[in-house]
Amino acid sequence: MEVAAPARARGRWRDALEERRFFAAVLIGPAVLFIAVLVLAPLLLAIYLSLTDATAGSLSGDFVGLRNYTEAWDSPNFRRALRNTVIFTVISQVIVLLVAGVLAHQLAKPFRGRWILRFFVLLPWAAPIALGTIGFLWIFDSLFSVVNWTLVHDVFPGPPEFKPYKVINWLFARPALPDWLEIKPIDPFAPPQWLGQPTLAMAAIIFVHTWRIIPFATVIFLAGLASIPAEVEDAAKVDGATGLKKFWYVTLPLQLPIATVALLFGIVFTATDMTVVYILTHGGPFNSTHMLTTWAFDTGINSAALGQGAAVSLYLLPVLILVAVLMLRFARKVEVS
Amino acid sequence: MNDDRPRVPITADMDELTRRDLLRKAGLGAIVLVYGGASVKKAVAAVPKYRGRELAGQLRIMQWSHFVPAYDRWFDGQYTKAWGEKNDTEVIVDHVNLAELPTRAAAEVASQSGHDLFQFLSPPAAYEDQVVAMNDIVQEVSRKLHGPMGRVGLKSTYNPRTKKYFGFPDNYVPDPVHYRRDIWGEIGLAPNSWEDVRKAAPRLKAMGRPIGIGMSQELDSNMAMIALMQCYGGYIQNADAQVVINSKGTRDALAVMKDIYKQGMTSEVFAWTAASNNTSYVAGRLSLALNAISIARTLENSNSPLADKTWIAPIPRGPNQRLGLEHVMGVYVIWKFSKNKKAAKKFLVDMQTRYGPHFVNSGFYNFPAWPKGVKGGFKAIRKATAADKHKPLGKYTILTTIAEKYTANIGHPGFSNAGIDEVFNKFLIPQMFAEVAQDKMSPAEAARAAEREIKAIYAKWRRRKKL
Amino acid sequence: MRRSAITPYLIVGPIALVLAYPFYWMLWTALKTDTDLYNVDNNPYGFGSGSPTGRNFRFLFEETEYGRWLQNTVVVGIVVVIITLVLALPAGYALARLSGGWGQTMGIGIFLTYLVPPTLLFLPMSRVISELGLQDRLLSLMVVYPSFTVPFSIWLMMGFFKTIPRELEEAALIDGASRLKALVRVVFPISLPGILTVVIFSFSLVVNEFVYAVTFISTSTNRTVSAGVPTELIRGDVFYWGALMAAALIPSIPLALLYNTFLDRFIAGFTGGAFR
Repeated sequence: MEVAAPARARGRWRDALEERRFFAAVLIGPAVLFIAVLVLAPLLLAIYLSLTDATAGSLSGDFVGLRNYTEAWDSPNFRRALRNTVIFTVISQVIVLLVAGVLAHQLAKPFRGRWILRFFVLLPWAAPIALGTIGFLWIFDSLFSVVNWTLVHDVFPGPPEFKPYKVINWLFARPALPDWLEIKPIDPFAPPQWLGQPTLAMAAIIFVHTWRIIPFATVIFLAGLASIPAEVEDAAKVDGATGLKKFWYVTLPLQLPIATVALLFGIVFTATDMTVVYILTHGGPFNSTHMLTTWAFDTGINSAALGQGAAVSLYLLPVLILVAVLMLRFARKVEVS
Repeated sequence: MNDDRPRVPITADMDELTRRDLLRKAGLGAIVLVYGGASVKKAVAAVPKYRGRELAGQLRIMQWSHFVPAYDRWFDGQYTKAWGEKNDTEVIVDHVNLAELPTRAAAEVASQSGHDLFQFLSPPAAYEDQVVAMNDIVQEVSRKLHGPMGRVGLKSTYNPRTKKYFGFPDNYVPDPVHYRRDIWGEIGLAPNSWEDVRKAAPRLKAMGRPIGIGMSQELDSNMAMIALMQCYGGYIQNADAQVVINSKGTRDALAVMKDIYKQGMTSEVFAWTAASNNTSYVAGRLSLALNAISIARTLENSNSPLADKTWIAPIPRGPNQRLGLEHVMGVYVIWKFSKNKKAAKKFLVDMQTRYGPHFVNSGFYNFPAWPKGVKGGFKAIRKATAADKHKPLGKYTILTTIAEKYTANIGHPGFSNAGIDEVFNKFLIPQMFAEVAQDKMSPAEAARAAEREIKAIYAKWRRRKKL
Repeated sequence: MRRSAITPYLIVGPIALVLAYPFYWMLWTALKTDTDLYNVDNNPYGFGSGSPTGRNFRFLFEETEYGRWLQNTVVVGIVVVIITLVLALPAGYALARLSGGWGQTMGIGIFLTYLVPPTLLFLPMSRVISELGLQDRLLSLMVVYPSFTVPFSIWLMMGFFKTIPRELEEAALIDGASRLKALVRVVFPISLPGILTVVIFSFSLVVNEFVYAVTFISTSTNRTVSAGVPTELIRGDVFYWGALMAAALIPSIPLALLYNTFLDRFIAGFTGGAFR
C-alpha cells in the first residue's frame, strides 16, 4: 500500500514533466534564476547608483536624476574615452574579421605542419588576459622594449650594417604625411614610445585587443566553415564555382550568421574590457587612451565618486544593447534564408 | 579540537546593539569573518591561536606591499607577532599592491566586512563616513610623546569642516631628487634650482644622459608635477579649498617644464610606470630622477657602481619657494564595521609611540608622522641618517632636512580632501603638463582646461558636503 | 585560383609567428638573470651574464604562492565548468526546442547579460558575497563565475541542439520513455562535442577573469593565477620582469596545447558535426 502512494506522487510529478511547457520551465528555471540573482540584481543596483550621488565611502546617496550622465559629458576626458571605446572596438574587430576569416579559410583543410601553426594561433587566447597584457607591457617598455631594440640595432650581424629604423625612416618620414599620425624620423637615442605617444599607444592597445581575439574568431569561423554541408560544396563544384566566386556566392553567405555572432562577441569582449588598457597605459599618455571602462573605474573606485563612475560605465549600455539586438536579428534572418 | 566557549554565528542583519551585546556576552574579542553554515573545521580555524595558547582576539590588517621588501618581512614576521603575543591578540597581515588599495577599500565598504585596520597610501578623505574618528588616539599619542604631530600628518588627515580625524597618520615618505654627481660634475652644475636644471638640460641630453621627470599616469609623475607647481607658486587649491590652479605660478611651471622636456628629456617620460624611473636610473641612463629613496637603496643592494655616484638632494628651488610633496602618506583607518576597534587603536598608538624600529627597518623610508615618534625627534632621526654607512657618506642626512622642511601634504596650503584626491587619482596634473610639453596646448589653455575640470570635481564634492 | 601547396604556409605562417612572438619573448625573458635583463647594452636575443637560468621559475614556485595559485585556478575552473554544464545544458536544450518568439527573445536576453561590465558589477557583488559569508574564499568565485559562463554556454548549446533532429527524441518518446529520460539517455550522450565546447570555453573564461578575482580575495594563498601575478609580483616600484614572464608563460602553454588537441572535436561541437 505504501508503495503505491509515493508511486502515485511520483507519477504526478512525472506527468507534469511531460507537459512540454512545464518541462521547459524546469529546465530553464535554474539558469534564469542564477543569472537574475547574479547579474540582474547587481545591474539594477548599478543603475540605481548612477542616479544618485553615492560615493565609494557610502554606498547610497541622494537621488540626483540624470545629473551624473549630463555632467560626465562636460569632461573632455570622458568624451575622449567614449570616442576611444568606439574607435578601439571598431578598428580591432574589423582587423579581427579579416585576419580570422583568412586564417580559418587556410586552416580548414589539413596540411603538413597545420597542428603547430594552429598551436601558435591559439596561444593568445590561452594566455589569461592580465598576464598576456603584462607581457606586452614588457615588449613595449619605455627603455627595454625589444621592438625598439630590433629597430635600432644591426639586425644581421656582420657587414653590411642593416638597421631597420633607417629603412622605416626612409619609407615613412615624409612631409606629406599628416601631423596627427605623429610619424617622425626614429631617433635611436629616443626611439618611439609605444605607450607614451598618443597615436602609438592607441595602436598598441588596438594591437593587443586584436591579438587576443583573433584565435577566438578563427575558431568560430572554422566551425562555420565546417558546417557547410557536403552537398553544398559538391553543388558548388558542379556549378564550376571555385576560388573567389565560391567564396563570394557560397562561403560568405553561409558564413554570415556565424560571422555576425563572432563579430558580436568580439565587440562585447573589447568594449567592456578594462584589463588591457588598465595594465598597458592606465589611460595614458595624459588620459588620451582611456576607454569608458577604465575612466569609470578611475572615477568610481579610485576617486570614490561611485555614482558618477556607475553612470560612465552604463553610458555605452544602450548602444551595445541596440547593436546586439540588431546583429542577432540579422544573424537569425540570414540563417533562415 | 574542542572549544567550550559559545560559538555565536554573527549575521550581518543583526543590528549593532544586539551584536555588541552578544560580543560582550560571549566574551569574544573578534570573529571578523561571517561564516554561513560554519562547519566544525571552520569553527576551529576561527579561534585565534598563538603558540598553542588561545588568544582573546584577532586583528586583521590590510597593508601595502612595501617598496622595501625587508620592511614587510620584519613587520609580518617579527613586529606584529611580538605585539600580538604581548596583547593577547592574533594579528593577521594581508598585503596588496599599492594600485589595488582603492579597489579593496571600496569592496570592503560595499560588503561591510574585511579588515580592522586598513592602510591607505594617500589620505582617504572620501571614506570619512565609513571610518571611526581618530581624535581620541591622536590626542593620546600627542600626550604620550609630549608633542603634536607634524604639519604633513595634520593637514592630511583632519577635516576642518567636521573636525574629525578621518585617518590616523602613521608615516610619510619624503621625495628627494637623485642625481648623478659625476655627470653633473662634468658640466659644473648641481640641481639646486629649477633654473639650474633648465640650464643643464640640453647639455645632459647631449651627453646621452637625459633628465627623468615623469609626466605619466603614475604616482611619481603626480608628485613631481604638483611639487614643481608649488615651487613656482602654483597651487591646486587654497587654504579654504577653493580651486586656484589657473594662476601665473602654474603657467610659469608649465612653461619651465616644457622647456626642460624639449631640451633635456625624451618622450619615454610619457610612458612611465611607477617603476620606470627607477629602472631607467639604475640602468645608467638618467642623470636626474625624482623618486623616494628606493632608487638609492636598489643601487646599494645590487652593489651597483652607480651607488657611490648618486647624490640625494631636496627638490630644486623655484622663484617662489623650495617645497616638495610627500611621496606617499601612510594613513590607517579603522572601519566602522570592525569588530576589534580597541585592539586596532592600541596597535596604532603602540606603533607610533615607538617608531624607531619602523624607521630603521624601512631603510629610512618611513618617517613618523609625529617626529617624536622616534625618540629624540628630528635630531635623533638626523643622527641615524647620518650614521648610514653607504657611500657617499652622509648622503641620507639631507633626507631629514627634506622631511622636516621641504615636504608638504597633497592639497597644500589647504587640507587633503576628496576633491584633491580625485584630481590626484585621475592624473589631471600630469595630463596638464604633458599636453603642454607635447605642444597640444599652450600653458594658458592647459591651465584653463584643468581649472574647468577641477572646478567641476570640487563642485560635486562640495554638494556632497565633503569639502 | 587553384590553392597551391604553399599558400597556407605563406599566409598562415607570418600571422602565426606574429601571434606567437610575445610568447617567444616571454620565454626568453624568463630565462634571463636580472643583470642580463636590465643592461641596455646587452643583446636581448642572446644570453649574457649568467643566462640562461632557471632562477625565475624557481623563484615563482619557491618564494611566491604561484603553485598554489595555479592549483586554485584549476579547482575553480573545474567546479565552475561543472556548475555551468548543470545549468546550461538543460536550459540550452529547452530554448532550442522552444519554438516561436519566446526562444529567440530569451536567447537575446541571455546574451545581453554580457553587456554589463564587471567593473561596475563587482561592488554590488561584493555585498552579495559578504552576505553569503564567502569573502576571501574561492567559493565566492565559484558562485559568481557561472554568471558569465552560463549565458554563453546556453547560447552555444542552443545552437548545437538545434542541429540535432527532433526525430531522435520523438523516437524515444514513442518507445515509451519520459521526456526526462529521453533527454538524459538519448540527447546528452550525442551532445558530447557540444559539451566539450562548453567545457573549453567556460574554462578559458574562468582563467581569464581578473576583476572579481582581485576584489573578492585578499589572502595570498587563496588567489587565482590571474589575480595573484599582477598584485604580488609587481611591488609598486619594482617589476620582477623575469618572474612575471615566467608566470605568464606557465599556464598559457598547456592551455593552448589542450585547446589545440581538442580543436577538431570542439569545432564539431559548434556544428553538431556528427550529423553532417
